[in-house]
Amino acid sequence: MKTLRRQDTRIPRRPLLWLAVALLFALPPMFGTLPSWVPLLFLIALTAKFWMQPKGYHLRSLFWKVVLVALILSLLFFSYGSLRGIEPGVSLIVMLTSVKILEAHTAREFHIMIMVAWVLCLCGFFLSQNLAIALCLLIAFTLLLVALIQFHRGSSSAFWPPVRTAGKLLAQAAPLIVLLFLFFPRFSTGFRFQIASQRGSSTGFSDHLSPGSVSSLTNSSEVAFRAEFPDGKIPTLGAMYWRGVVMWHCEGLEWNAPKNPAALPKTSQSSLRSEGVRQWITIEAHDARWMFALDWPANWPSGARLAPGDYLWSDQPIHKARRYEVTSYPEIPNNQLHSGEREPLLQLPAAISPAARALVQSWTAGKAEPRAIVEKALEFFRAQGFLYSPSPGEYGKNGLDEFLFHRRLGFCEHYAASFATLMRLAGVPARVVTGYLGGEYNEIGHFFLVRQADAHAWCEVWFPDRGWQRVDPTAVVAPDRVNLGFSSFLERRAAAGQLDNTQGVLARKLARWPIFARARLGWQTLSYAWDTRVLSFDGDEQESFFTAIGIAGRGPIFFIVGSLLVAIALLALYTGWTHLRTRACGDRIKRIYESFCRKAARLGAPRNPSEGPLDFSRRAMRLLPNDSERIRSIAEAYIALRYAPASDPMTLEQFAKAVSAFVRAS
Amino acid sequence: MDEKAAQDLLHQRSFIGRPMHSTLLASDRDPEIRFDTKKQIAAFTNQICEVIVGKTEAVKLAVACLLARGHLLIEDIPGVGKTTLSQALARSLGLAFQRIQFTSDLLPADILGNSIFDRNEQRFVFHQGPLFSQVVLIDEVNRATAKTQSALLEAMEEHQISADGVTYELPRPFFVIATQNPQYQVGTFPLPESQLDRFLMRIELGVPDRASERAMLLGMDRREMLKELNPVFGAETLLEIQAKVRTIHTSSALLDYLQDLLDASRQRHRSGLSPRAGLALLHASQAWAMMNGRDMVLPEDIQAVGTAVMAHRLGHDIEQSGQSGRTLAAALLNSVPVP
Repeated sequence: MKTLRRQDTRIPRRPLLWLAVALLFALPPMFGTLPSWVPLLFLIALTAKFWMQPKGYHLRSLFWKVVLVALILSLLFFSYGSLRGIEPGVSLIVMLTSVKILEAHTAREFHIMIMVAWVLCLCGFFLSQNLAIALCLLIAFTLLLVALIQFHRGSSSAFWPPVRTAGKLLAQAAPLIVLLFLFFPRFSTGFRFQIASQRGSSTGFSDHLSPGSVSSLTNSSEVAFRAEFPDGKIPTLGAMYWRGVVMWHCEGLEWNAPKNPAALPKTSQSSLRSEGVRQWITIEAHDARWMFALDWPANWPSGARLAPGDYLWSDQPIHKARRYEVTSYPEIPNNQLHSGEREPLLQLPAAISPAARALVQSWTAGKAEPRAIVEKALEFFRAQGFLYSPSPGEYGKNGLDEFLFHRRLGFCEHYAASFATLMRLAGVPARVVTGYLGGEYNEIGHFFLVRQADAHAWCEVWFPDRGWQRVDPTAVVAPDRVNLGFSSFLERRAAAGQLDNTQGVLARKLARWPIFARARLGWQTLSYAWDTRVLSFDGDEQESFFTAIGIAGRGPIFFIVGSLLVAIALLALYTGWTHLRTRACGDRIKRIYESFCRKAARLGAPRNPSEGPLDFSRRAMRLLPNDSERIRSIAEAYIALRYAPASDPMTLEQFAKAVSAFVRAS
Repeated sequence: MDEKAAQDLLHQRSFIGRPMHSTLLASDRDPEIRFDTKKQIAAFTNQICEVIVGKTEAVKLAVACLLARGHLLIEDIPGVGKTTLSQALARSLGLAFQRIQFTSDLLPADILGNSIFDRNEQRFVFHQGPLFSQVVLIDEVNRATAKTQSALLEAMEEHQISADGVTYELPRPFFVIATQNPQYQVGTFPLPESQLDRFLMRIELGVPDRASERAMLLGMDRREMLKELNPVFGAETLLEIQAKVRTIHTSSALLDYLQDLLDASRQRHRSGLSPRAGLALLHASQAWAMMNGRDMVLPEDIQAVGTAVMAHRLGHDIEQSGQSGRTLAAALLNSVPVP
């Protein structure tokens, strides 16, 4: 008897398969954010389940369960150092779900697994919130629904009906989701998750410039920020210098920015002669405080300041994506250099080699003007066989000399750093600016996408007559890099065979197909819309939305109760409507069929009231052989509409048409 | 397989409802393998029709009864093939089969089982009776006294047997085929109404027509034919089909018709059809629809099984002479309009 009972409650294979596929879709956010053994163990547990299930095995012994849980806890503790926080918490849920999968074998436990999987989906959003992850989790969510429906359908093995039902349920839920999204109050009570705190600080922008710090980003396709030009004034790609951090402190090939720059006073824009370029910038979270703007920002958003060197600096670290508006001008406002400021701009490291000094002296001979010195230095880079390469290799301790006189192979940071150092040697105030150059224009969404790979470093030197001027030594060595953008530059190099690194060439070729290019741009646009319209809809945005529709200033209770009431009303309306529709539909089918019976009776085949539709159609076909084909199709349609599991309105229309045609033809 | 061997095998397997011939059929080894239900049922029906010549309608009703998880009562005069039909059903299913001949001196313990003192173990041990089987043929059910007949009640309805305060579960599937002689024969105890209601259907075989009888007279010995029957499907497949039968769609229009029938029976007769009879009608018509390869029940399905399901439930209400349950059921089906 025991065996029998177990057999009755065994989880059927198909719902289990749906559940497994759903769990696979819940995995992507875990990869990359949690330690890789967590999702791997989860996958192993899932695989083991499929091996165990047909054999009727499951994790029975309490002893082993306790051992497994203890093992999991200690593993998590050793890998995180504590069990507090989002990631250890999510890891714990994932691992406990794995154990549950091994243990589950009854119908009740199947339900628990579904519930836990739903929680897992929600946890995924703690780890990542981008569009791809959101879609993945939506699929997982739907498949869980399908698994649950399939489970309750029993031994029926049909594939589509559960999927259809799940789709219908989700479609019905969609208006409620929108309603709650817009109106449900967002509380910010100081209880803040620091979502995904362990951002890889190695891949990204930095306030420290050293050989290799920018070139390490060349393979990163991660998005740095997106920019829109609301006034439609788009500068050329070669002039699109996105200013990040200005570095003052020189160590030869290494430069540093101040850790916590002061704020500049607000400039009066009347002093600016030219027209500004307005930008909307949506910056990705990077946990640091720099913000980007085109050269040179003159006004800045709230919560940020303009640091000396005219770059934006956020008051708080940017832990989540942020959108701000900034206006830049093609000249620096307040372009003065006070007497006290000149000294630090000529600061140099102690160890400058005689060779470098000799080189600079050859330029400054004869009391040359700063502009002439700059020209000579650029000429030096142009004529002495310097090469531009994204992977120039390591530079040792005496990097400056090695770069200038021996290897002559470098990336933008080498050129910017060495150029600025040489300028200081020549007595010209200079500084290094790091940021991004160019970007990819998305013609569908009309915005620029700037990736980490677009990172760039350049120089600014000070001329007594015109103040700070931008000088980009990279433009001399590799003009295409500046004018075409980094990815086009790489492509051209690959085409010319100058790049031995063939990785990604195929992908780039594929990407040039119009359909792929369109799809990519479309996806980027969607993703941008997701970030700016959905993810950024926080308490403040909601407040301004309420103000816009004129219901601002009510308490949260009003919105909670209100949105729930509206949701219930919507549901009631929907139920009533479907009820009325099906009733009306049933009546209509019956009316049409009765009219068909009357017509048939007139032709000599009256229906016996106790005769079923199939019997009647057979008899009528015998009695009216000329119309037998028509009678058969009418009877089939009627049976499908009246007695079959689901009838669609299409058939009803056809049925009505067939019946009305029946009298005309006869 | 003779009955002794079947019983031994059954005991070895301790009634877990496993198929007896699991090695014979791939579909029993792996429940995931697809099977064409309609074809399989047709093959099953055809095999039985080869043995019971000329009684296709009765055989189909018997199969529908089996698929609807109901018990079958066959009423007819001796010698028309009642026992042969039930044996053919049991053998074609490859299920454990028991036959109990009811007599007027049969006692409940004879069919349920006895507790006998075991000298070695120094305790009473329950020895299961012949009712512990998957297909039970009860021959001449109306020859036993009411006491023995009602002992069948629990077994048929609850699929379990209580003896000496212990409840024993019966194997699955559990299918009772009872035969009875017409009431007018000598030495019969009519089945009580409650007992009759527990049979899903009552069918009559009747004398075969001339051609069929000639075929039978010319053909092989029926007993030889029975021995050569192979199981068409096993217990697990049967359980699966039985589960599927319950999922056959019944639209609200059909349920309207079914309820109209029930209402009409209650208005016309002193004790009309019970709610259980309504369920029986529904399940039997679902099985009939499935046998005809449909995924929905039509009024025609109810009409096809209606007489077999309703006749014995209405039959005890006869006031006017010459009115049998069959004619009452037929009158009901002919007069209630299909909505």
